[in-house]
Amino acid sequence: MFHLKFSLFSQTKSLENKIDLFHDKLLDAGMTFKKAIRIYLAEQKSEEFKKASKQIKQIEHDADNLRRDIEQKLYTQNLIPDLRADVLHIVENLDKVINKFDEVTYQFFVEIPEIPADYHSRMIELCDLVSDCAENMAIASRSFFRDFSLVRDFSQKVYYMEHESDLVSGRLREAIFASELPLANKLQLSNVINEVADIGDIAEDFIDELLIFTIKRDI
Amino acid sequence: MDPVYFIFLSSGLFLGWSLGANDAANIFGTAVGTKMVRFRTAAVIASLFIILGAVYAGAGTSRTLGELGTVNALPGAFMVALSAAAAVYWMIETGIPVSTSQSIVGAIIGWNLYSGKPTDYEVLGTIVSTWVICPVLSGILAVLIYLLVKLIMHKSRIHILRQDCYIRAGLIIIGAFGAYALGANNIANVMGVFVDSSPFPALNFGHDWHLNSTQVLFLIGALSISVGVFTYSRKVIDTIGNGLMSMSPAVAWIVVFAQSLVLFLFASQGLKNLLESSGLPSLPLVPVSSSQAVIGAVIGIGLAKGGRGVKWSVLGKIALGWITTPVISAILCFISLFFLENVFNQIVFEP
Repeated sequence: MFHLKFSLFSQTKSLENKIDLFHDKLLDAGMTFKKAIRIYLAEQKSEEFKKASKQIKQIEHDADNLRRDIEQKLYTQNLIPDLRADVLHIVENLDKVINKFDEVTYQFFVEIPEIPADYHSRMIELCDLVSDCAENMAIASRSFFRDFSLVRDFSQKVYYMEHESDLVSGRLREAIFASELPLANKLQLSNVINEVADIGDIAEDFIDELLIFTIKRDI
Repeated sequence: MDPVYFIFLSSGLFLGWSLGANDAANIFGTAVGTKMVRFRTAAVIASLFIILGAVYAGAGTSRTLGELGTVNALPGAFMVALSAAAAVYWMIETGIPVSTSQSIVGAIIGWNLYSGKPTDYEVLGTIVSTWVICPVLSGILAVLIYLLVKLIMHKSRIHILRQDCYIRAGLIIIGAFGAYALGANNIANVMGVFVDSSPFPALNFGHDWHLNSTQVLFLIGALSISVGVFTYSRKVIDTIGNGLMSMSPAVAWIVVFAQSLVLFLFASQGLKNLLESSGLPSLPLVPVSSSQAVIGAVIGIGLAKGGRGVKWSVLGKIALGWITTPVISAILCFISLFFLENVFNQIVFEP
């Protein structure tokens, strides 16, 4: 009759842990991506790179399972009915970034783009910026669940880094097209740069929505 | 007991039914509407606590209504309650936030005028002042609770899911308190005019537990409110919610808490005695409008948020209701008593 279940608190605790774990996956994916790109630029498709690539694939797979579990529990346990749609949206968008890290790493693995040494430092800078973007996005998102006064601070960092990544990717593309590289190579590199920069764009879009959700969450 | 009594009591029972149907939405509307609490759970808790409040704490507000006018004949009491119910129905149709309390006061004055009994203007003044104090006090309490809850939510860093659990439990606990306060405060509207003609014997349950005649009458009135909760409040919740705006469960909790406190302050004899014995100012025991308390609370929170989105026109409608509801009810009662006495040959007052 009375559906005030006292076990609700323990179920909630388990779901809280899963959401935290999901955020950890995004942080892991970002850091592994940074490491993978550095290995690729130093060694190209080496065993070490394959290992890092597999690691990201595994993170993406675990994150997918966690996402499904979180979504299912939110609905079956009828939790946070007024904010459930927002939370589902957040989880799905975080997953999109993890998927993108996996996709880009896989692109490097399959296409093995030739990146001249002159561009390595800027490529590393770009990858670091988008990874940091994702990292701050994860922290902003985690703050939404616990301490939403911090969401704005970390959102600002994401906006700043995304802007920086746009500048770096633009300069890198300009330099590539101004070089003597064959056109096919230029186009391939341009495409890879676009894909990497996309991670920052997804993070920026996510933050736009998160700030709206935060306004809704405030009483 | 004369079965005719229940025919006369029916207008009070109808008033109780409509009170249950409408005012339960003020207590559990958002909780049920946002699916934080199941309707069945809400209805059971609301009914139980309305009955407890009415039976154990309903005497104070009834006494005040009695001081305004002691309706001393059963057919007269029937018509007072029926006129109040009809006026409420009419006012609902016009979209003005209507109060059963104001309606019953108007009807009693109508009876006083018809029977030639004097109206105690001091008591009337006290009652009318509470109509203004009720939404204002509710607004002030809502702002204070809102600021406190906001501070706690910001400082405590509780996970959003944990907050959800606390709010869910809070909605049930405060809902129960709200139902108790509603029963205690508003039973006078439903059964107050029948107190003098109550034919019910006192009931004894075991050694220590007994209900006097008025409490038995209030129990019957509270049951009619419960029937209103079970049979029609779901429909009210589904169609108009709390009648004002869509609220987050946390804000709904604050609104219900403020409203319940106000109803309780205007109903609790114990609290009144405690305040008076401590030399503090106390509030008169008067039935007040839960809907207007809710409006006061919502406007208070709206102001605390910066005043955007506050519909000031609602305040004008409330003020209009303060005048029109009792006036319509009084006129309706006066005319109806004339017909009841002269067409149906009923004694509507004892000289």
